[in-house]
Amino acid sequence: MNAHVSSLGDAALSLLPPVARFNLRIAPADLAAAAKAFGVDLPTRIGQGVHQGARSAWCLGPDEWLLHAPEAEQAAIVAAFDAIRPSAAHSLTVISDREVTYGLSGARATELLTTGCPIDLRRIAVGDAKRTVFDSAQVVLLRDGSQDWRLEVWRSFAPHVEALLTTAQHELAAGF
Amino acid sequence: MTDYRVAGRGRVDHGKPVKFTFDGKTVTGRAGDTVASALLANGQHLMGRGFKYHRPRGVVTAGSEEPNALVGITRGNGRFEPNTRATMQEIYSGLTAESQNKWPSLAFDVGAINDRLYMMFSAGFYYKTFMWPRSFWDSVYEPFIRKAAGLGKAPTEVDPDQYASRFLHCDVLVVGSGPSGLAAALTAGRAGADVVIVDEHSEMGGTLLSEPQAVIDGLPAWEWLAGAVAELDAMSNVRRMTRTTAIGYYHQNMIGMVERITDHLAMLPENAPRERMWRVRAGEVVLAQGAIERPLVFHGNDTPGVMLSGAAQTFLNRFGVLVGKRPAVLTSHDSAWHSAFDMAEAGAKVAAIIDTRDVVDAALHDRAASLGIEVLTGHTATATRGRLRITSVRVNPVRSGTVGAGRWIDCDALLACGGWTPSLHLFSHTKGSLHWDAEAQVYLPGRKSEAVQIAGAGRGLWGIGAALDDGATAGAAALRSLGKSASAPSYKVSGDRIGTGVFHKELPTDRSPGRAKAFVDFQNDVTAKDLRLAVREGMKSIEHVKRYTTNGMATDQGKLSNMNGLTIAADALGKEAPQVGLTTFRPPYTPTTFGAFCGYHKGAQFEVTRKTPIDGWAETHGAVFEPVALWRRAWYFPKSGEDMHKAVARECKATRQSLGIFDASTLGKIEVSGPDAVEFMNRMYTNPWTKLGVGRCRYGLLLGEDGFIRDDGVIGRMREDLFHVTTTTGGAARVLNMMEDYLQTEWPDLKVWLTSTTEEWATIALNGPNARKLLAPFVEGADISAEAMPHMSVVECTVAGFPSRLFRISFTGELGFEINVPARHGRALWEKLWEAGRQYDICPYGTETMHVLRAEKGFIIVGQDTDGTITPQDAGLDWAIGKAKPDFVGKRSLARPDLVAPNRKQLVGLLTEDPKTVLIEGAQIVDDPNQPKPMKMIGHVTSSYWSEALGRSVAMAVIEGGHGRMNGTIHVPQAEGKPIRATVTTTQFYDPKGERLLVE
Amino acid sequence: MLLIHCPYCEDTLPELEFAYAGEAHIVRPQDPSALSDEEWRDFLFIRTNVKGVHAERWRHVNGCGRFFNALRDTVSDRFVTTYKAGEARPEPETLEAAE
Ligand SMILES: [Zn+2]
Repeated sequence: MNAHVSSLGDAALSLLPPVARFNLRIAPADLAAAAKAFGVDLPTRIGQGVHQGARSAWCLGPDEWLLHAPEAEQAAIVAAFDAIRPSAAHSLTVISDREVTYGLSGARATELLTTGCPIDLRRIAVGDAKRTVFDSAQVVLLRDGSQDWRLEVWRSFAPHVEALLTTAQHELAAGF
Repeated sequence: MTDYRVAGRGRVDHGKPVKFTFDGKTVTGRAGDTVASALLANGQHLMGRGFKYHRPRGVVTAGSEEPNALVGITRGNGRFEPNTRATMQEIYSGLTAESQNKWPSLAFDVGAINDRLYMMFSAGFYYKTFMWPRSFWDSVYEPFIRKAAGLGKAPTEVDPDQYASRFLHCDVLVVGSGPSGLAAALTAGRAGADVVIVDEHSEMGGTLLSEPQAVIDGLPAWEWLAGAVAELDAMSNVRRMTRTTAIGYYHQNMIGMVERITDHLAMLPENAPRERMWRVRAGEVVLAQGAIERPLVFHGNDTPGVMLSGAAQTFLNRFGVLVGKRPAVLTSHDSAWHSAFDMAEAGAKVAAIIDTRDVVDAALHDRAASLGIEVLTGHTATATRGRLRITSVRVNPVRSGTVGAGRWIDCDALLACGGWTPSLHLFSHTKGSLHWDAEAQVYLPGRKSEAVQIAGAGRGLWGIGAALDDGATAGAAALRSLGKSASAPSYKVSGDRIGTGVFHKELPTDRSPGRAKAFVDFQNDVTAKDLRLAVREGMKSIEHVKRYTTNGMATDQGKLSNMNGLTIAADALGKEAPQVGLTTFRPPYTPTTFGAFCGYHKGAQFEVTRKTPIDGWAETHGAVFEPVALWRRAWYFPKSGEDMHKAVARECKATRQSLGIFDASTLGKIEVSGPDAVEFMNRMYTNPWTKLGVGRCRYGLLLGEDGFIRDDGVIGRMREDLFHVTTTTGGAARVLNMMEDYLQTEWPDLKVWLTSTTEEWATIALNGPNARKLLAPFVEGADISAEAMPHMSVVECTVAGFPSRLFRISFTGELGFEINVPARHGRALWEKLWEAGRQYDICPYGTETMHVLRAEKGFIIVGQDTDGTITPQDAGLDWAIGKAKPDFVGKRSLARPDLVAPNRKQLVGLLTEDPKTVLIEGAQIVDDPNQPKPMKMIGHVTSSYWSEALGRSVAMAVIEGGHGRMNGTIHVPQAEGKPIRATVTTTQFYDPKGERLLVE
Repeated sequence: MLLIHCPYCEDTLPELEFAYAGEAHIVRPQDPSALSDEEWRDFLFIRTNVKGVHAERWRHVNGCGRFFNALRDTVSDRFVTTYKAGEARPEPETLEAAE
């Protein structure tokens, strides 16, 4: 169950349950091996997301991917990558606890993000991701729908981001 | 008060009276009024006092360019804003407005004595008057300047309002909603573009609000306007924003806009921000900001009742207010004639139209004649009478440059018009060039540096028809630039007021110009005489004249005064205006609140405050916090009745005697992973890494390429190809950035990757002789006995069932462990250790105790004991350098002449002669305390504490040639009292042999 | 606030995502120990400080994380072009051709 932060008017904010989250770094030439280990065709365009079953991968940089999987699969995924290490050099770092994830939804969810995001959110396709900033915190935005977003932020920045989003949410709900 | 309201006229709601107070007196206006229009409706022109001379001042304009009618608005609960334009502040029931720069009252002001002391305030008075004698500064000048300086009163209470901010992206942003702005927005909107149109006023329309007589495409102006607004509102791709000022035009079409959300509301809605800063990124910008009327410069032109003719027209047509019942008109432009006609038709008895030109369009003469208005062409104005309101104006004929005899004309308002200046402030922000149109005598937009269109009066066009067509053309041009197409409609307009005019320097006079008080800048009280004096005193560029006289430097940024100032200065210099230059317009366009800039950043959200997973426990256990970088860290945990000194002494003692627990989660952590990890580490850090075994740790020292210490931390080898690097709390992001820099740009061939894990792990440090006893029962999957897990080793295991990277390291000199667990488990582990630790009197300690314990051991804190000029040798850390390594970052610099020079400042210990004396950190150190001042300073104290373990103070310092001064004496001079004597020592004060680490 | 084109993301994004990182094309010597004190000083401290088109490094720190190079006019604050780390500084002719 999602931890309810607040649901007001046309924009709801919730703290999502943890997932197995990884930072994968690998040379693009070795990507196929990583895709096999993770069981997902890893995307190659920065920002692009690929979703297969319960696993997702987003390309965040030329040699960087954000991987999500159900929590219970974390150890198996670490083991799968350990197995390919001798043949395909890479770095797989568990960051399940580094970030927390907020869900934003509702008719004005995208507008809510514009209180702190300087980028043109219209240009992020559904299913894709973008590392950017919200106010003074680095975040990764995952777009799940036209008005459905996940915002991942380093744990210690979360109270600040949450406070700003909540303030802005009240502002929207009050009709301003 | 007399009623100047014209029934049935204007856009105010005559059926809705609204009461507010001005200087404590109740005033009744109409819904839709501004403070200015409501006061004028009650016959009050006097709205403020001048800044320097405290001369009575009336409202001059009907817009945001207003220089005089500035009021303070109070809303209770600390809400107070000074310098609000009475012409922009909409009234609401209960509004409290107060005039400024007056004492004791607006009508009678003691400070007006300054008016008689003109010489004290003339051009350059800041530079001349207060030069000498020196002794006058404290007693005379400064108090005087303080009293005189500033406009209005600063608020004294905390602003309780919330401010908001928003980013917005659009295809076309239209600034200004007069005819050209509306036409541009309609054109772009109809073509399907994402359009934003903004206007600083409460409703859209601009000039159309003041000229209802025009007929557009067969519709009366206001009907057409209502249709245009309705059409814009019906388009989902158009955002229409009123009460929103575009304050600045920044690079690549980023426009800052401030939306005023609640300042016009009687009741403040809950959760409503007062203002919102919009940061808009537009594909194309259309600037449709119109033109600003220019005052005429003549003696007495600041008497209340003298105002701009266009303002009078706006007050009449938009607000239904006659600014006078017997107005006179003084003009050099046709437009003022129409103001006279409108007022005459509304029931005013126009005293005269005085035009400086000899020849004026016959149609205007005919209309004046039909309305029975006396016309005086080829005339000048030379004086006004009336103190709190004009009673008459002195006019003189000018024939071939000679001013004839004067005659007084009675009036209760004087509508002056010196022509119109295209409003190009935002365009100037872009550094677009302005070119001087010699024929029109105005600056017009020249070369553009942004994707911008300028439409309407901003391009020097005149009349509603021309503005509409130009706006439509600009809208279509904007779309073409964006690669879209749009057709620009053409508008049929009748009843348009197309006119011409001329510009003047000061109006000619038959009186001594040296005695004239002909104001150019009303807000800063600068006269034409001041400008000419500045030129006589050697100012040649307009930028110098501006600063010397302060012309155009008030909060209106010279919207009314710049062009008149330039014309007069150019005349005094005998040059054409463009040769004298033009002052730079800078953002913001109008005064902007600090709140709007701060946005959400106030109170707890003033800036990011990072908190560890254990922060909540520390808070409930009474921790006092200190900021460290963006983090807040538990500083110390006082028990009741303890001050910091007592708490820290207790925490130190408990840790050294038994067991302390410390939240080290803020330490930076970087995963260095890949086949070339060890090569990378060898190149980055001074230390050798190749032979460090898996499961072992080493203190790592990081230099800049310049050889100075940048960071340090303990680094564990988790696998052959994986290092767990720790950094200082403040250095985490910097170190990762530096590593990425070298990796990406110098050594891209290395197969190694870096990932920040600072926040993946919560880190708990256990220190003290009982650390292992507490920890061991919780550990599974590892043997942490002294034999199996020596000092400086690391193991992966579980602690209390949580997966963990467990380090045996010590920053205190005691037996120590640092337990890293996934962040979500940090607090739970802490609480388990805390519970179980009671048997050992476990003591939570904060950063202050950590600092004391490490100082007793002589461990440095990078950034405290180093300052960016300290080498490893200076800090006594030569042992951390891998001397056999061919290269590492900073190695070559360590051989630079300056870095091997004798007498460098080196880190040493200090023991004060009196053990009870604790030196002040940062205190300067000298060799000989009896030398004359200024003394030669040879270093400073970097760390200094009371050491409970040693029962005396200890300190560290950097001192010239410090390592060669062992057992020598230095002195630390004090602000008061005798210099303190101290002995130079090593930095290992406590347990120098490290025996306390060897607990079994 | 500038818009900056990241050559890795192939996207033009707000300056808030980027960090300046000093002058470009200053290569760390292969063997620093072979340099004279003067040569090493120049590598460490001497920068061009041009008025006009300046080759400089930026990092897309709040994006893809990559360091890249840019030509920026220090007078107008305008980016002329950006290119990947390791690539040669574009010649003026190719820039004009691109416009
Ligand atoms: Zn990028």
